[in-house]
Amino acid sequence: MNIRAKITEVFNEIWAEDHDVPPPALLDDTVLLETGMDSMAFAVLVARLDEELGFDPFTQSDDVYYPREFGEFVAFYEKFATQ
Amino acid sequence: MTSLAALIRARPGGGVLLTSPGGNLSAGDAATLGFGEAVPQGAAVALAIADPAAFVRTIVALDGVAEALLLLAPGLPAGTVAELMEKAGATILVSDVNEGAVLPDPMPGARPEAGLETRWIMTTSGTTGLPKMVEHRLSGLARSVVANDRTAGHVWGLIYDPSRFAGLQVVLQALIGGGRLVVPAPGMTMADELRFFAEAGVTHLSATPTLWRKMLMLPAGAGLALQQATLGGEIADAAVLRAVAAQWPAAHVTHIYASTELGVGFSVKDGLPGFPASYLADGVKGAALKLVDDMLWAKPLAGERPRGAHLETDADGYIRTGDRMEMAGDRVLFRGRESSLANIGGMKVQPEHLEQAALAHPHVAGALVTVKANPITGSILQLTITPAPGAPEGRELALSVKQQLKQTLPRELQPAIVRVAESLDISASGKLERPK
Repeated sequence: MNIRAKITEVFNEIWAEDHDVPPPALLDDTVLLETGMDSMAFAVLVARLDEELGFDPFTQSDDVYYPREFGEFVAFYEKFATQ
Repeated sequence: MTSLAALIRARPGGGVLLTSPGGNLSAGDAATLGFGEAVPQGAAVALAIADPAAFVRTIVALDGVAEALLLLAPGLPAGTVAELMEKAGATILVSDVNEGAVLPDPMPGARPEAGLETRWIMTTSGTTGLPKMVEHRLSGLARSVVANDRTAGHVWGLIYDPSRFAGLQVVLQALIGGGRLVVPAPGMTMADELRFFAEAGVTHLSATPTLWRKMLMLPAGAGLALQQATLGGEIADAAVLRAVAAQWPAAHVTHIYASTELGVGFSVKDGLPGFPASYLADGVKGAALKLVDDMLWAKPLAGERPRGAHLETDADGYIRTGDRMEMAGDRVLFRGRESSLANIGGMKVQPEHLEQAALAHPHVAGALVTVKANPITGSILQLTITPAPGAPEGRELALSVKQQLKQTLPRELQPAIVRVAESLDISASGKLERPK
């Protein structure tokens, strides 16, 4: 499964645990923290992606980076998936 | 024994004291705020106030007038409020959230002549049990406040809950230091807060690393013209320090070590994690420090000592902080809380409470919580459970446990990950193995 699909799947799973409404469409320019997910939910997303993908680019990265948009978030993971 | 109102009257700069979405409050008006008959002089008063502007007006009106101010976080259950009030001997509640309370709406010109030295009773944060109370004096709380021509130009944004220690520090620095305090309206999202702060010209911000990471992830954060970025309440790692410096290049990046227990802590201004080892030998502004078996002990040097029954103090007056440290060359690095206490997004939690809550589920036989490092909130909790006879299959059981915990536990105590295992590791002493 590709990274974008995996991230979307885990995002939607976490969303469903907290919300009764369907998850937002995740476009490249969707601002992550304006989707209705808060810091705790993102902490969970990063932790579960670490479980599922076997890596966490935030702790592996030397360049300090906190992605704002979904496209940046996906690109951040894709960059480390190939390493 | 100078009251907050007197300090505001004497502050450098004067002018506008407070900006909120509701408008401005001048320093002149603030210094005369009073509750009149609604709060008699010498009363012990509890505050549970959700609107930060109302909170600020209330503490200015009551310091020096009330015998004691018990600062409670807004949103505590009515029963907890009543219990804490009884313990502290408070008889009047000023609140915009609890029923039957005096509204936090003091009027200019209504301040009585009074010269009491108010006891400030703060409550510690935590997710379980009754909050602990620690008593301070204004002189001690304001010990690290700087007031001069320079600080008079500072515009502080308030992100913290002002009833907590870190938030109160921001409030007192802005009010006494001569600057302006900008506060959001209750219920604003952080994106709205940041837009409001940018519009109001905020130059100084203090927040936890978790909140700074959130600001870095919101486009509205880029609109702030910060001169000072202060991180506290959690371990500030090298990554977040560097990212804040890169986003706001004009800002001084400082991380502070402070706790309700300590009174006031100290700040590190070189942008690097931990603190210089020289602090252990020479002390640091306002405190002497020492390491005993990697445990940090601290001793406030001046002002009123905090008083609280649960504080562990040694013969030399040092207070045990509960923070584990590690020497790395000429730096002393923070390694987290002792024992199993975890800091999740600035909230200190006991993992055992999650274990107990999980064991309350009818299909859970065993439960073990581990604390896992996390780049967004510092750490998160991971729960491993073993199924009781008759329990549903793995994924279904995990979901069912998660749903039940969601209803009984605060957000920070809920597990980020729930795993189902056949057995848990038990140590020779018969205790669950809690990996370090």
